[in-house]
Amino acid sequence: MTLEKDPLNLIITGVGGQGNVLASHIVASAGIKEELYVTVGETYGASQRGGAVMSHVRFSSQAQCSPLISEGQADIVVGLEPVEALRVMAEFGNPKTRVIVSPRPIYPIWVLSGQAKYPPIEEILGNLEELADRVQVVDVSEDGEALVGTNVLMIGALAASGLLPIPIESFEEAMREILAPKDLEMNFQTFRKGMQAMTGG
Amino acid sequence: MKQLLSGNEAIALGAYHAGVAVATAYPGTPSTEILQSIARMDGLYAEWAINEKVALEVGMGAAYGGVRTLVSMKHVGLNVAADPFFAVSTTGTIGGLVIVSCDDPGEHSSQGEQDNRHFAKIGKVPMLEPTDSQEAYDLMGWAFDISEEFDTPVLLRSTTRICHCKTVVNVNKERKSDLRQPGFQRSPAKYVMVPSNARVRRHAMEERIVKLRAYVEDFPLNEMVLADRKLGVISNGVAYQYAREVFKDASHLKLTTIYPIPANLIRRFAQEVDRLIVIEELDPFLEEEIRCLGIQVTGKDFIPIIGELNAEIVENAAVEAGILPAPSKPSLRPKSPAPQLPARRPQLCAGCPHVATEYVLRKLGFSGAGSGKELKKGEFIVTSDIGCYTLGVYPPLAALDTCACMGASIGQALGLEKAGVPNKAIAVLGDSTFMHSGITGLINVVYNQGNTTVIILDNGTTAMTGHQGHPGTGISVTGKKTQQVKLETLVEGIGIKDVTVVDAFDLKAIESTIKRCLDNDEPSVIIARGPCSLTVKTRGAPFEVDADECISCYDCLDLGCPAISLSEDKAVIDAGMCLGSACGVCAQVCPQEAISESRK
Repeated sequence: MTLEKDPLNLIITGVGGQGNVLASHIVASAGIKEELYVTVGETYGASQRGGAVMSHVRFSSQAQCSPLISEGQADIVVGLEPVEALRVMAEFGNPKTRVIVSPRPIYPIWVLSGQAKYPPIEEILGNLEELADRVQVVDVSEDGEALVGTNVLMIGALAASGLLPIPIESFEEAMREILAPKDLEMNFQTFRKGMQAMTGG
Repeated sequence: MKQLLSGNEAIALGAYHAGVAVATAYPGTPSTEILQSIARMDGLYAEWAINEKVALEVGMGAAYGGVRTLVSMKHVGLNVAADPFFAVSTTGTIGGLVIVSCDDPGEHSSQGEQDNRHFAKIGKVPMLEPTDSQEAYDLMGWAFDISEEFDTPVLLRSTTRICHCKTVVNVNKERKSDLRQPGFQRSPAKYVMVPSNARVRRHAMEERIVKLRAYVEDFPLNEMVLADRKLGVISNGVAYQYAREVFKDASHLKLTTIYPIPANLIRRFAQEVDRLIVIEELDPFLEEEIRCLGIQVTGKDFIPIIGELNAEIVENAAVEAGILPAPSKPSLRPKSPAPQLPARRPQLCAGCPHVATEYVLRKLGFSGAGSGKELKKGEFIVTSDIGCYTLGVYPPLAALDTCACMGASIGQALGLEKAGVPNKAIAVLGDSTFMHSGITGLINVVYNQGNTTVIILDNGTTAMTGHQGHPGTGISVTGKKTQQVKLETLVEGIGIKDVTVVDAFDLKAIESTIKRCLDNDEPSVIIARGPCSLTVKTRGAPFEVDADECISCYDCLDLGCPAISLSEDKAVIDAGMCLGSACGVCAQVCPQEAISESRK
């Protein structure tokens, strides 16, 4: 397979505990099925306790890429949390970057204690619009619904967006390989919810 | 078969296919997943050791017993294991012994940024380093072969980016089966390092390095690619990936043998190119080794010595140094400057059992005077240690004064006391850290008649690295029940008479116990016991704030609980995050009794 843009640089970002690592693992595994070179750059450790997290996933048809995307070089940003999406866009985005974002905030500790302000969600989305080529908001949550599965939900949206040259079947096959059999059906449902949110169906 | 593997998973699989029979480690980011991966494989013995020193000593024994052995640790773990490291370099082994050191450039989750390539040189031990997961997998087989052929432990160095980065690995080997059976051959001249024997082994070490220098010249995983001869780039580890991406047209020499270096190969490469540079993270290790060969080379005069590299840093540095031309087209940049966004740092979880103790320490021992101020009478010093609870240094808890290295809190507290500092010092450390190296410090307190108060925050796991077992948990690396070492029995056994176990969520009990122990003129241990909130299986109904009762005093916000926030000046609790009666600390803090179990 050849890529229109090579390497194709994807950043998945969110808050420690949201399942960034699993999300990047599914996307990368799906990419390998298309015979692409895939590199996933992860940083974890102390960051798992509620800190900002980021996975760099790089696809190439020519050679294995280094694990880190340079400033301004992200082609796609998937934000599991809106402020983190904006933080990543401000550093790694460019006017051609496409953004898929969940609008559900997770408040940092300084916001919770009133020492810092969390910008209104409309303002964040407005900022993202200014910075990026296109912003697609994925919101399927109903009031009071727990925040589980945002990672798989957003991967479903990414799969349906057509931004990656990877068919849905490859994502599903990757999930079958990676997830425990008992969690599979629930995750497929979440994945399809994300797909529907993207296609509007 | 192709597999997407992190460097750590690749190291584990490579060791497995090389026939490793014993694997031992103490958890530490970024190395933890090596032992976790290998413990899931059949036909070998794996264990969490109490600390890195013991891990390596177990490794020595296993390798003396003739089997292939893997010992893995984070970079600062090798400091703990330095004593047996130098010893096993002297004795050599029979079975292959590979020590994996995972360095952390950029200090993503470490207290320091040391370059462990230096350990190879002072330990006179060969070192290999992969540039990606494939090489991590492949090098393990070589590492064990070298260890056995040259009668030496082998260091395999990795870094955070290699450990955690995932790339595709062609898994092409079967597990090696034609290996030595376990058995010990008596050989005091080799294993008993009294001076008369050690002096003989000293010569063997130097002879070994001479032979290794010749061996690495033809090592197949070093790679010379000659392209444009104007520039030659030597690199190692993840820096090789950046170098190849940035200097696309240049000639490259990739080194996987870090010590000793292949001198003749480097000389040949240097002769082929007009200008020679080294791209490496942290210290100018290769650069200095190459310069010692009499070869003109540069590197750290333009590449940063601090922190991680990436392609951008390397490119900008090379442009500034005039090695690369300035890019002709402007690079893509965000359209507008970054808006002001709230910072997000790691924090203690909702329902964390460390919060109540740190809250009480803040309340009792810190008057609120800032950094750089002398302590007032009645204030106390909190010497802390390495673990999740170190996050208590940040506001609003802000209840710690020190954090240095594993187990240091207890020795530091005794030192402050013996120096005559008028304020009392309380040492705070976790259960796993106490087992790792706190116990020796506490025996020292008993022996030297200190009156230190030690608080062991016992959450029943090694939480920071992802919930590994330790002797206090009584659960092995494979999840099986094993003999539990009980903290209270242990500390009583070394002569601590004042031992109190308190519920980690009971503010009153914690406060009164700390006050009593501070007045005590003998050493005391408080075990604040409560499970890590991430391991709690049955949480209570979430707590809620009665908005009519809330007087907006914000005392509950001083806990720094991520489930509590403000809504129109009143505190509110996130029902999805709250552990309810499994924690309940906020209800004890509230002066209005406005917080209680939700009746919804």
